[in-house]
Amino acid sequence: MSQQQISLENLNVIGPDYYAKNGYPHAEWTYLREHDPVHWCEYPNTDPFWAITKHADIVQIAKQPKLFSIAKRLLIFVPDTPSEPDPVPPFRHLLNMDPPEHGDYRGIVSARFTPRAVRSLEPQIEAITRKVFDGVTGKSRLDFVTDISSKVPLAVIAELLGVPQKDWDQLFRWTNETIGGSDPEFQDGTNSDETFDRARIGLFNYFNNLVEEKTKNPGNDLTSVVAAARINGAPMPQFEMLSYFLLLVVAGNETTRNATTGGLRALIENPEQWERLKKDRSLLKPAIEEIVRWTTPVIQFARTANEDTEIRDKKIAAGETVCLFYPSANRDEEVFENPFTFDVGRNPNPHVAFGIGEHFCLGANLARLELEVIFRELIERMEYAELAGPVERLRSSFVGGIKHMPITTKINPARN
Amino acid sequence: MKVVVDLKLCEGNQRCMEAAPEVFDVRDDDKAHLLMQNPPESLREKVKLAVRMCPRQAITIEG
Repeated sequence: MSQQQISLENLNVIGPDYYAKNGYPHAEWTYLREHDPVHWCEYPNTDPFWAITKHADIVQIAKQPKLFSIAKRLLIFVPDTPSEPDPVPPFRHLLNMDPPEHGDYRGIVSARFTPRAVRSLEPQIEAITRKVFDGVTGKSRLDFVTDISSKVPLAVIAELLGVPQKDWDQLFRWTNETIGGSDPEFQDGTNSDETFDRARIGLFNYFNNLVEEKTKNPGNDLTSVVAAARINGAPMPQFEMLSYFLLLVVAGNETTRNATTGGLRALIENPEQWERLKKDRSLLKPAIEEIVRWTTPVIQFARTANEDTEIRDKKIAAGETVCLFYPSANRDEEVFENPFTFDVGRNPNPHVAFGIGEHFCLGANLARLELEVIFRELIERMEYAELAGPVERLRSSFVGGIKHMPITTKINPARN
Repeated sequence: MKVVVDLKLCEGNQRCMEAAPEVFDVRDDDKAHLLMQNPPESLREKVKLAVRMCPRQAITIEG
């Protein structure tokens, strides 16, 4: 949609079909940032909300978790048919908890995700990544998603959780169905609710058994840590514990996969940036930040005002929802110079792709390290890549997913 | 200028240390330690950058 055709009355920034067909509505977000950065939206099948599109506003909202609750409405979900919201949420984990409870639950694993802690995982992630690339060495045509970008994060989170390799495929199906329930390719059942529910119950049952095993024979894995955790002196309730695993599995898979896929796509479409990175490996870290900004795999989370408040010139009433559109913030002209230019040397790069504040992505440092290892390997071994067919997008207005990206390529054997 | 770090929020992401190494030091306990409580005005811009870059928004400037 070109800028001229957009008007405040007709723009759509939340319909899953739009995302499947066109990708991110950047023209619409750009229009909103300029004309109505805090915009009231009404769409069929979902409660109305304010679309927040400016970087500064997202930061201000995210750093006030007491004024803006995440527990009341986690994100804007648009089902295909009108449905009554379930009075009991299907899970209770870090994402839909407010302080102080959120801090208590987050503290259980947060020490495992600091830059210092994840650095120790580098050899393990390198071994995983090398194996994935070895598996496709010499193949001239592949689906970058199913052959590479989905494999590394799945193996990393599965190893961290202590899930045996024979179960990885099952784990992968559950994460796809949890996030891709609205997409026909992943639908297992009649609709997205049913698909999500089946995946959730399958995953809950699986981890219930694994927890039992790890309680008897604890290891150094995350499952053992969560299984042994106590909240205010008491064991973690079962529902919250199983929800914890749902979060770790899904968050560990969907985001890094799509940043990787979108990152290669950006390099293919900006060959001079690929060359630059090849010639100067010191650009790897800023390149990863730029890939994360450029792709911003998580499209939105919501907050609900606990009391009447104001954002810019708009009065937000208690009980109203604001939707934080992270990809829009990451193209904000007031924060980023040439925001629509993919620049592997961009510095500073204060993107909010991992969120900010209370709910800042717990796995951000792990994701950064995974991306660093993957792209280091890719720069080293992938001689070239070209798109060899249509890029198929996920039908979702929550995660900007790429389901398939066929490429022609040449991947060399590892040097040593 | 007085700088305060909320240690309940801090998760040792090290962004403050990159922005203002004169003021912040993230140690083995994965927490940001203040190297000076009242940094001089000349460091204000760097500390402001640290405030902005902190993923957990754990740093505040008083005064």
